[in-house]
Amino acid sequence: MGIIPYIVVSSILFICGIIVMIARKNIIAILLGIELVLNAAALNFVAFTKFNNMNIDGHVFALFIILVAAAEAAVGLAIVIRFFQVRESIHIDSATQLQS
Amino acid sequence: MELSLNYLYSITFYIPECIAVLVMAGILFLEIAYKKHDSKRILLKVFTIVGLIVTFGALVFNLDLPSKNIFYDAIVIDRFSVLVKIIAVIAALISYWYGLSSRDIYDSLKSEFGILIVGGLIGTMLLASANNMLTLYLGIEMLSILSYPLAAMKRLDEKSVEAGLKYALYGGLSAGIMLFGMSLIFGILGTIQFGEIAGRITTLDVTQKAILVPAFLFFFVGLGYKISCVPFHMWTPDVYEGSPIPVTAFFSVVPKIGGIAALVRVTSAFFVNENLIQYSWVAVLTLVAALTMTVGNVSALGQRSVKRMLAYSSIAQIGNILLGVLVLDSIGQQAIIFYFFGYMIMTLLAFGITAVLSDQYGNDYFDRFNGLIYRNPFMAICLIIAMLSLAGMPPLIGFVAKFNIIAAIVKKGLFGLAIIAVLNSVISLYYYMRLARLVVFKMPDSTEKLFRLSIGRQALFVSMALFILIVGIFWEDLYKFSDVTNQIKLAH
Repeated sequence: MGIIPYIVVSSILFICGIIVMIARKNIIAILLGIELVLNAAALNFVAFTKFNNMNIDGHVFALFIILVAAAEAAVGLAIVIRFFQVRESIHIDSATQLQS
Repeated sequence: MELSLNYLYSITFYIPECIAVLVMAGILFLEIAYKKHDSKRILLKVFTIVGLIVTFGALVFNLDLPSKNIFYDAIVIDRFSVLVKIIAVIAALISYWYGLSSRDIYDSLKSEFGILIVGGLIGTMLLASANNMLTLYLGIEMLSILSYPLAAMKRLDEKSVEAGLKYALYGGLSAGIMLFGMSLIFGILGTIQFGEIAGRITTLDVTQKAILVPAFLFFFVGLGYKISCVPFHMWTPDVYEGSPIPVTAFFSVVPKIGGIAALVRVTSAFFVNENLIQYSWVAVLTLVAALTMTVGNVSALGQRSVKRMLAYSSIAQIGNILLGVLVLDSIGQQAIIFYFFGYMIMTLLAFGITAVLSDQYGNDYFDRFNGLIYRNPFMAICLIIAMLSLAGMPPLIGFVAKFNIIAAIVKKGLFGLAIIAVLNSVISLYYYMRLARLVVFKMPDSTEKLFRLSIGRQALFVSMALFILIVGIFWEDLYKFSDVTNQIKLAH
């Protein structure tokens, strides 16, 4: 099995993530979309390391992506909870206080 | 054995960052030691300020070291990055000072504010000396993740929480897209080191180059989001308006100069030899710079909130700085550093005075500034100096900074961009002068007394205004100081 299936899967993940972020109105779902995009990138790194170049950079990068994604999700969820306590909704359309 | 020695040796060049990390950890520990309802926390505040000053001292000490790649080429220390870090430390210090006296930051959260500011500073330092894609990504994420709670700092206020939410969502999106671009670049070129990228591009065939162009565009999304240039600027006015003012002051300087520094390094890494990819990167930067200036200035015209106006103005100023990136040599970098000095002082002065008025009235609409000169002439004069300087009037520092950048791109032959920059300067004059006009010619609505400013803040405002004025006249010394003598070098 060559590299092509990996790239197809990661591209699908990436596109799904972008679509989720654009189409869904639920903030938790948008955060999940972000995770999909990050995982697409991590998959790419691992696949490219396995098939194209044998240096360790890609593996390290993938580990760091997992780590940072967890931190980002934690902070994002904390802010969503704050938002829910203030607005009593996690619908993105209820974020209407800041518009010119 | 050799491995550990190399790391120990690298750390000797990395002392400023180590001090900053220790300061951040120290604040955390000190914060635990206080009782919950003790809101004064004098020791903690003194510790933060002293820690930032020590970091500043260590950076100044590092200034004249020869440029050096440390930690196996992951980090580069050179004069450019050290100058950027110095500016970031000063900006962080001043915004922390604003935060201490501002009512926008709750008393119980002042220590968290310090932790997050110092953390953001560390992210900027990492970003300024990143030499491969991993450190660049870590720098951006360190900065972003700590910025989201900063924006949502005023946690009972709907606007502030919404600002944090929008920042987090836009930030996650752009970081993801940037990472995907990075992974494609890694796949095609097989390296994450900036220094090796330029050499490997020449060995590619046409198909690989065709994939590389969108990959670089994806990569640019992340950086463009951090410096808020035009297609990715939508978050800026919202986040700036919602965040507490000391945080806005921090956002408008520290992350942006970090992003620009990274952009300069990336750009100078790819432009060693000329081919399709380099041309398309220059074309994108040219387009983005022109759009950023124009959109920023035009949108600033009709704003009601001063914070929002300053947000658009900072977008426009970043457009000017992007012109310096396009010059692609040490003169451009020198002009950028000089612009950073001016931009930092002007912006922080404007935000500082807005913070005082916003504390008084609870909002920062333009009519709050009516007749400020009759109520508090001292603050009004400082504000007018800041506005004139932002608009680029001689003999203030804003004029010299703009002049240097435009001179550099004219020497490079980009006359079209120079004309756009000058025209934009004229547009910007309108909204900056609108504020100055309200301050001088409108009668105040009420005779209500303003807060008395503390001596420390008065001294800060005066020294910033004097800096703008004096450096505007005797600018050669600062310009020489901004010289990036040991040019950005990359490991090969």
